[in-house]
Amino acid sequence: MRRLTILMIEQSFIIREGIKTLLSQMNQPFTMEEIDWVVADLPKLLRKTKPNLVFINPVSVVPNALLSRTNDHKILFIGMIHGETELNIISKFDICLDVYSDKQTLSKQIEELIEKNIGSSKEKQNSNLSERETNILKLVALGLTNNDIGEKLFISSQTVMTHRKNITRKLGIKTVSGLTVYAILHKIIKAEEL
Amino acid sequence: MLINKDMKMADVIHLDHHLLHVINRFNIQLGFEDKTVETVCKEYQVNTDFFLEIVNTYHDPSYFPLKNLQRFKPTLLVDYLQKTHHYYLGIKIPEIEQFINQLLLNNKIEPVHSKLLADFFQSYKTELTTHITKEEQRVYPYVKRLEGYLTQSIDKELITKEIKDYSIQEYEQEHDDVEAKLYDLKNIIIKYLPSPTDSSLFNKILHDLFELERDLNNHGRFENLILVPIVEKMEKDLLQKIKKS
Ligand SMILES: [Fe+2]
Ligand SMILES: [Fe+2]
Repeated sequence: MRRLTILMIEQSFIIREGIKTLLSQMNQPFTMEEIDWVVADLPKLLRKTKPNLVFINPVSVVPNALLSRTNDHKILFIGMIHGETELNIISKFDICLDVYSDKQTLSKQIEELIEKNIGSSKEKQNSNLSERETNILKLVALGLTNNDIGEKLFISSQTVMTHRKNITRKLGIKTVSGLTVYAILHKIIKAEEL
Repeated sequence: MLINKDMKMADVIHLDHHLLHVINRFNIQLGFEDKTVETVCKEYQVNTDFFLEIVNTYHDPSYFPLKNLQRFKPTLLVDYLQKTHHYYLGIKIPEIEQFINQLLLNNKIEPVHSKLLADFFQSYKTELTTHITKEEQRVYPYVKRLEGYLTQSIDKELITKEIKDYSIQEYEQEHDDVEAKLYDLKNIIIKYLPSPTDSSLFNKILHDLFELERDLNNHGRFENLILVPIVEKMEKDLLQKIKKS
């Protein structure tokens, strides 16, 4: 996983530590620059720290600083919202987290945001299926369950699951009926076999 | 940029025309002149706050303020969700079906391929219809009844029986996603069908599929993240009320 550079503008020590804990528990490597005073010159700070993500408590920056944020689309601005906040402040951020949300919600939101906007380093596989995968795809398309397939090929159903996940990722097709259509189009099975 | 109550409704459409059909769900029709969002909402007797939250979550998928959304009345939400269902089954699905029928009649497209697509889409339609019917017959009426009980004098037995027979937790557990097949259908057309001599019909289908998927996504989030928790809270409140009485 790629190491993220994070700028954290939040006066509350507890909240800064909380976000760090969340990121560590997600096994997300990061370096964090922590700012616990009110920021007047945000652009300068951004030039200096070159972050991927900026967490900001809106009260920790002078109101106009948010307006003048640089139009660098690579930086993601995350508002950390404490209670009622005006829509026009919320709208300055790419995304907002409610600091009172439960842990599950927060880690899900952070995970999504890292994945979507920073792009995970998982390299894109090409869509060529291995021979084994093609075999398994055929059996799936014919309607066999993971257990059936495991027995037939002398592998555990857990291994079948792993293969199926790889097939889905490579092809961009999730459902059995979708895989069936793919298999017919690529003459892996014939429509009459169904 | 998020939408606020002082913006002109016409500007909202210019900003994001995908909101057109969302706005129609509130029975709001075109011809806004220079009226603001707030004025138009008042004219159509629509709750402005609720309207803003809905269009904003739709407009910007990263905007989803749980706390704000969970403060609305369950029936308000259910009515909106029901209108959305109606849009899927009454408008969007028939529209895509029409395009698919045109595919079947188009002699430039390999009949085997158009048949594969048509069958796949039919099975999707069945899946979606079953999903929606269940929600409309079982879940939504349950939510509405519970909200009714909150304002009536307490009928201990009735309420206890109701929550025992069915609780929102059951819905939460069996609520499946209806987007997987759509996702597949998109990729089959984009990546795997042999390229036709003329893509225009496929483009129209894809355009509709993307739009439907985006809509279903938003809809599903409201069901899972908003409807479930507010009904859970209602169940708790009712049971507490019974204890006290
Ligand atoms: Fe629904
Ligand atoms: Fe649903």
